[in-house]
Amino acid sequence: MINKKPWDWDSEKKEIPVKEWQERFNWVEELSVSPDGEKIASIVNLDEAQFSACVNGEIWEETFEKAWGLRFLSNGNLTALVCKDEEWTVCVNGSFWETRFDYIWDFQFSPDGSFMGAAVQKDGQYGMAVNDRMWDELYDNISGVVLSCQGTSAAIVQVEPLGQGDIEGFSRGIFSIAVDGIAQPEKFMNIWDLSFDSKGKQVASSIRKNRIDYSISKNSQAWEKNFQFAWKPEFINKDTSVIAPVRQGGKWFLFKDEAPFWDKSYEQFGQLAIHGDGKKIAAIVSDRYGKWTVSENDRTWALHCDSMISTLFYSDNGDSLVAVFKDQGFWDIAVNGKPWNLKADKLWNPIVSSNSEILATRMEKEGIFYLVVNGKVYQERFDMIFEPQISPDNDKILLKAMKNGIYLRQILTLDKVL
Amino acid sequence: MQETLTTNEKPESNKKDVIDEGVEKGLARLTPEKISTVINQVLTKETGARFKVYVETCMRCGLCADACSIFLSNDRDPKLSPAGKVKQTILEMINKKGKVSKQLLKDVVRIAHTECNVCKKCSMYCPFGIDIAYMMTLVRRICHKLEITPLYIQDTVNSHSATMNQMWVKEDEWIDTLQWQEEDAREEFENLRIPLDKDGADIMYSVIAPEPKFQAGLIYQTAVIMHAAGLDWTMPSTPGWDNSNMAMFTGDFEISGRIARAHYETATKLHVKKIVMGECGHAFRSVYDVGNRWVGWAMPPVDLVHAIDFYHDLLTSGRIKVKEQYKKTVTLHDPCNVSRGRGLHNKAREIVNILCESFIEMTPNREHNYCCGAGGGVINCGPPWKGSRMINNREKKEQLERTGAQVLIAPCHNCHSGLEDIVHHYGLKMEIKFLGDIIFEVMEKTIYQKDS
Ligand code: SF4
Ligand code: SF4
Repeated sequence: MINKKPWDWDSEKKEIPVKEWQERFNWVEELSVSPDGEKIASIVNLDEAQFSACVNGEIWEETFEKAWGLRFLSNGNLTALVCKDEEWTVCVNGSFWETRFDYIWDFQFSPDGSFMGAAVQKDGQYGMAVNDRMWDELYDNISGVVLSCQGTSAAIVQVEPLGQGDIEGFSRGIFSIAVDGIAQPEKFMNIWDLSFDSKGKQVASSIRKNRIDYSISKNSQAWEKNFQFAWKPEFINKDTSVIAPVRQGGKWFLFKDEAPFWDKSYEQFGQLAIHGDGKKIAAIVSDRYGKWTVSENDRTWALHCDSMISTLFYSDNGDSLVAVFKDQGFWDIAVNGKPWNLKADKLWNPIVSSNSEILATRMEKEGIFYLVVNGKVYQERFDMIFEPQISPDNDKILLKAMKNGIYLRQILTLDKVL
Repeated sequence: MQETLTTNEKPESNKKDVIDEGVEKGLARLTPEKISTVINQVLTKETGARFKVYVETCMRCGLCADACSIFLSNDRDPKLSPAGKVKQTILEMINKKGKVSKQLLKDVVRIAHTECNVCKKCSMYCPFGIDIAYMMTLVRRICHKLEITPLYIQDTVNSHSATMNQMWVKEDEWIDTLQWQEEDAREEFENLRIPLDKDGADIMYSVIAPEPKFQAGLIYQTAVIMHAAGLDWTMPSTPGWDNSNMAMFTGDFEISGRIARAHYETATKLHVKKIVMGECGHAFRSVYDVGNRWVGWAMPPVDLVHAIDFYHDLLTSGRIKVKEQYKKTVTLHDPCNVSRGRGLHNKAREIVNILCESFIEMTPNREHNYCCGAGGGVINCGPPWKGSRMINNREKKEQLERTGAQVLIAPCHNCHSGLEDIVHHYGLKMEIKFLGDIIFEVMEKTIYQKDS
């Protein structure tokens, strides 16, 4: 994980003027801020088909014909997908990867930023590239690319040709899962929702065997049991078991390794959240039509919402189960079933302190951005707030925001915010 | 496909002879056991009180018949009346306890997929509100499970399932198209952008796959409109950008649900306030009414705004100003899914009146309008069925002709394609346009300033 200790947790306020960039360049694109809050960057247009990245007012030496997807990784590296001399590649802190592609997209990185991967296309063939290395084998098409924490890569690839309107060929199964470029032998009619185990070795997915039978595959081996439908599976129990929401008889169940795992059935399932290798398992569920809640180890929260739950996750120590949800048209956060009552128009996932005691995020309400910590809205108003950070001692918040064209990096003590 | 039909041709002439490879091969594989098992499973396990009431209540009064332009186009053939279609399909299956012949199934496929637009007009005329479109969708569900869905629409659904878009658009082709349109649209405004994946934008704009595939200029036009209106918008680079859904029309509700979920999850990841969708009717039905509900979202979990609503807002708020009104005489086709389905017909008229000098109503109109004849997945059944579709669209052709308008506005992709076919087939002298085409033509190309 990222070591936040060396960051400047003392300077109360630092400012970088950004508005003047508008005068310097033809246009300035979306702003991106480094995790430590010391750098703010944007793709900028210098001339016709001439782009670069501007970082704290300095532009990269390199220019590009096209550039998109500029972002800071967790380790502070600034990356973009760029096109130079009609070839695409990744640019990291102003330097290109050596490998060039006809196109690159769906850029992903491991939590510590040490692995970078993306879907790539070269000469009409498709694969992935990880840390400047392209798969040896390329395919007719690719989708659903994933990168594990250990840098292994996987995707759904088309391994058989398909003629126009060839529904018979499609039914025979033309898709397989490729791991690090090697397609697994089994083919399926559809594959979705790839999921790596904790070591980045095994892959599970939801699959469709034929027109009406859906199931789960683990390392390309399909469960024998068929279902009416299935959503994304996850590994648990030291990666020996796979759990997945599946539909049977019009109801949804959580199954583990082909057998019912939770007793109750639900109207619908969303994303799963897992802590401690499966000691705690939670899921976004609907237990009445149109009503959404969280089920933790098969017991539902009293809290329900009418729109959706977009995210569900455990804090690192497992003490907090956090849901971002929308009810009556507004976004809110609930921690262990207790809502914050934010009534936000836009709301981002909170970051959680190592001891689970502090949760910090940002929201937009009527066009104004606010910092929110443990449900408390910090009253200073901003034009935009980037993802905040919590100090390693859990006593300060790093606020990164835009106000009147100036980027502000502020350190707020918790007592000031709460 | 070569067009050989004329207006005088007998309605029955070619309908039963259509060879659809998907249907033929599917039928050849079926056994009597499989047929009855699937039919009985769907009719008993996948229906409820609503179905029972519909079956028991219909008294064959025929009041629904005049609603149906397919019935009217076929010399009022009772077999093509809404209740007649139910009688030849569902009722046959019920009466025979699922033990129906392959020949009957062949007729069933034709009736449910190509002789009903699931437009829901007839249910407005039925004293009991019997929803024939629901009944025909149920028949399509049976066909889906029996694997006898017409080939072209099945291929479209296959594309949806594998790529989350209906036209096999590859992931890189999509992004490349957006970047190309962005570059081209800088002809209009030198700093114009199509912001990709802009986290926290107010609006996510979504389209249907024919736009990047064949009509990329529509994305260009929208980018110009968005830019001129000074809006904070984005388009996603990831699957979930296509709001269309043919699976909903083949009865493949599982894939239909997955498509709708991908769409809303894409918008949610971008933290947008709302989704604005292009001019498409069936896509609206999918994300507003059908696909979302299969996922358990009783209403769209992210505010969903159809292009008609969106343009209305832009034009009435002054974000987009009209430089000079459009001169040619125009008429307006009300797409079923956004007029009957959402009540946007009056807003559509207000837009037309703001944009155009001379508007001629077609009759019937608003929620009583005839379907374009392409809707409900009918056009997606492809070339084998085009000839019979043209016969079934005679009434629509006459309705269009009566207006005498030079330009036909159709704010829906499906309608657009279907109406193009009618105009070409019957030699009507009409241009067909989207509302966006006309806005683009008459708008002031200046950027909206809040205080101006
Ligand atoms: S739904 Fe439309 S096309 Fe189908 S029977 Fe009714 S009126 Fe006719
Ligand atoms: S109007 Fe209603 S009751 Fe009468 S025939 Fe039609 S569906 Fe049946």
